[in-house]
Amino acid sequence: MINNEMRVRILGQLDRGVDEIDKMLISGDGPLEIDFSACTFVAVDGLEWLEELMLRADSAKRSVHFVNVPPVIYKVFKISHIESLMRACGGVSSNKSSKGPVC
Amino acid sequence: MAATTKEELELMLTERAQSLTRQARLAAAVFSQYSQEQVDAIVKAMTTCAIDNAPRLAKMAHEETRMGVTEDKVLKNLVASEFLYAQIKDKRTVGVIKELPELNMVEVAEPIGVILGLAPVTNPTSTVIFKSICCAKTRNSIIFSPHLMAAESSNLAAKLLYEAAVAAGAPKGFISWVDKSSRLRRLSEILFSHPEVDLIFATGGTQMVKAAYSSGKPALGVGAGNTPVYVHKSCNVPSAAMEIIISKTFDNGTECPSEQTLIIDREVADELIEEFRRCGCYICNEEEVEKVADAVIDARTGGMNYRLVGQPANLILEQSGIKVDRHIKMILCPLKGELRQHRLAVEKLMPVLGYVLVDSVEEGINRSLDINYGGGTGHTAGIFSEDDAVIERFADAINAGRIIVNSPSSIGGLGGVYNHLNTTLSFGCGTGGGNITTDNVGIKNLINYKRVPRRKNYLISFQTTKNIYSNPGSIEHLKSLKCKNAFIITSRSASRRGHLSMVTENLPAGCHSDAFTDIGTEPDFSTIQKAVQAMRFSKPDAIIALGGGSVLDAAKIIRLFYDYPELDVKELAVNFLDFHHRMVEFPQVMKTQLVAIPTTSGTGSEVTPFAVLKDGYRKVSMIDECMLPDVAIIDAQFTKSLPRDITSDTAFDALTHALESLVSTFSSDYTDGLALEALRLIFEALPATLKNPSSILFRHKLHNAATLAGMAIGNASVGVNHALAHALGARFNIPHGRANAVFLMSTIEYNSQIPSKFVSIPCYPLWVADRKYARAAQFVGLKEEAVADAGPYAGYILALRRAVYDLGRLAGQPLSVGELGIPLEEYMAALPELVETAFNDMSVRSNPRYTLAPEVVELFKGAYAPRERP
Repeated sequence: MINNEMRVRILGQLDRGVDEIDKMLISGDGPLEIDFSACTFVAVDGLEWLEELMLRADSAKRSVHFVNVPPVIYKVFKISHIESLMRACGGVSSNKSSKGPVC
Repeated sequence: MAATTKEELELMLTERAQSLTRQARLAAAVFSQYSQEQVDAIVKAMTTCAIDNAPRLAKMAHEETRMGVTEDKVLKNLVASEFLYAQIKDKRTVGVIKELPELNMVEVAEPIGVILGLAPVTNPTSTVIFKSICCAKTRNSIIFSPHLMAAESSNLAAKLLYEAAVAAGAPKGFISWVDKSSRLRRLSEILFSHPEVDLIFATGGTQMVKAAYSSGKPALGVGAGNTPVYVHKSCNVPSAAMEIIISKTFDNGTECPSEQTLIIDREVADELIEEFRRCGCYICNEEEVEKVADAVIDARTGGMNYRLVGQPANLILEQSGIKVDRHIKMILCPLKGELRQHRLAVEKLMPVLGYVLVDSVEEGINRSLDINYGGGTGHTAGIFSEDDAVIERFADAINAGRIIVNSPSSIGGLGGVYNHLNTTLSFGCGTGGGNITTDNVGIKNLINYKRVPRRKNYLISFQTTKNIYSNPGSIEHLKSLKCKNAFIITSRSASRRGHLSMVTENLPAGCHSDAFTDIGTEPDFSTIQKAVQAMRFSKPDAIIALGGGSVLDAAKIIRLFYDYPELDVKELAVNFLDFHHRMVEFPQVMKTQLVAIPTTSGTGSEVTPFAVLKDGYRKVSMIDECMLPDVAIIDAQFTKSLPRDITSDTAFDALTHALESLVSTFSSDYTDGLALEALRLIFEALPATLKNPSSILFRHKLHNAATLAGMAIGNASVGVNHALAHALGARFNIPHGRANAVFLMSTIEYNSQIPSKFVSIPCYPLWVADRKYARAAQFVGLKEEAVADAGPYAGYILALRRAVYDLGRLAGQPLSVGELGIPLEEYMAALPELVETAFNDMSVRSNPRYTLAPEVVELFKGAYAPRERP
């Protein structure tokens, strides 16, 4: 923990929820930063857990930020069209901004 | 909680669609991370599962739909798994999937995303197997919308393959399906237009396919079939009969590529019909044809009776009121009367086959077209023939995505069994069938292809005249020329100056010669034709061009039309943007050798592939390697009597060549070296020659400078200065070198400024004109001038412009249009024409600054006032 900000790193495959992060969300009150630099794969269960985590963070009025997201993982977030994950990355959703095919 | 109201029901279906698409979306996102090896392992597991379950699924499909033949459905399931796997197992679908080294390009796969897959009642399990495996191979998610009458078997196929895939590591939810219920159709409609569906992969009835296309989403659909099969007299008749029976009875005719009408050459008709009869087919008489038509055709729609789709022949005969007491494989109905109007000349997905007799290939193809365009355009056709020419004519005429030769059209159309077509259960019918593709749709259609083209390796080559003799007195080389009959092309002044006799005296012993001395200052095509005519009488084996640029250029064109009289000057002079892509084709080999002897030190034509011809108020250029002379004799003795003005005009032409080729977008290390040395020689030798006109040493250096600069432009071309000069020279009859000189001060300044628009040409990756001018200044030994608040090269560029100005003034060379004596009013009146001519001149294409039309106007205007030292 640095300056009341909690940091945690995802190691390897994110194929299920991470209890440690769930606990950090409950116990702390400052921003939560999740570092994806060592994340090698995100499974469907991992995606669903991240989306749920963002919902719980919203309810708890905690801000969650994803940092150091490798392009492969960032693309998974993009394709998934989950708005909250893009917000956590500091970006915009890929599907909401598009109004259809353009030339 | 069960929905009670219509609104509640709609909400429930919308939520179900949301759930299906969401899991498919997440799976598609996760799938994007998979490697080729992971994907291939999943595909292998799914294929194994499909093979293991092929009989079970076939049995279930037959029991549920009451269509077709279980044994054939097993075969279809195996084609959709085993045969498909054999075709796709080694195909790359992840990352770089194709390398095109010859194009310096690769293709990279990008998955489609979420696919909505329709499965038809006729092939409920094989289609699901096929689409599931294809989607796994291409890392897509798929949601199946089965046919209501086949939903149980379709969905079981989807479930079995999904479980096998997940066990092999596939993402959760990448295959899903709409459960069988009375709301299946409505839920499918919601999915058609759901924003999370990226593509609809439609295989099924016409209505469903139309609905898919109407959804506004990208769709891969299929069209209706109505397969004509032409039985040509050259075929192996018994074999054709057996193949047709195999095909039309396959799954009781439910395959849409199967034969619908046979077009039989009369010569083999009896034998073929008898063979059908012998093999267990029923041949209807005219009365029975009507009975069969009444049964199998829906009188309301004119299409097939769907209750009889995939039913056995005996049942159809029974329904037609025709009694038979033996097993019948297939029913054959002769279609009499107007074929296009016959009720049975439509698609019949059952073992009922029409036939007509024809008396020629032409009639055979025409009747086939009647069927082909009678509801099955773009789908499938077949032909039995041993005559390749007939097969080719048939294929050329028929509009079908697959034209099956000497094989069963149904199993043949599936691909992989009888031929090397891609295995499929979805037959693209092209625009004829309202589709985007005629492919046997498969994995290649389920990938977004990302093309990654690397920058072209632009071919830089260097060509020039092969043999160049460059010392004073080198005219003596003519004596060793291998020729018996020389034709000398020159001007009248050459004769007066004694040049002609210098040539004739040096011809090989025994060599006959004729001369054509009518080349003027700027010859047109009529002069060329006269010279060619004269050569026809003389029949020379060598042409000797003796004179200035006009004579040498004319000789190149004369040789071209003498060697190849069928050529068209207008075609050869067609403009081009890029030499490598131009339309014009010049001859590869010249028959008559050409010796070029320049008598001025300017154009360098003796070593260039260019020739310019006057055409009214414009000049047309012909450019090709074949125009290069074979021999150039650079003998300064021919220039020692040149008057001062011509010496200066031509030297400024060479100076312009050197400067323009140096900064040209096509310049290279080879041309740069030539251009720089030419510049150095001109700055050194022109003042010395003007001071001492009879000095053969400086004439020699000037002569070499012109040839070196000629080699430079011969490979790097020229620039905007030449475009301006061509226009001015043609309009006001100004000698070429003099016209070049009046723009030189302007164009150096223009090209040394950062362009308002950069030139887009692959061989010019960086604009370097300013530093190249600076390099030229340094090379000729100029000192950097002091220029305040300017770029790093401004001092040298100013020095170069001053040096050009000083050289011009020393030579008495006009350096502006006004100095030529052209009245301003006349010049301004001609300006629109000058601008248009210059703008369309090919020379601007290699200029380092993209020359915009308003800039051409300013260059012309700015070149009028008398020059002052910059």
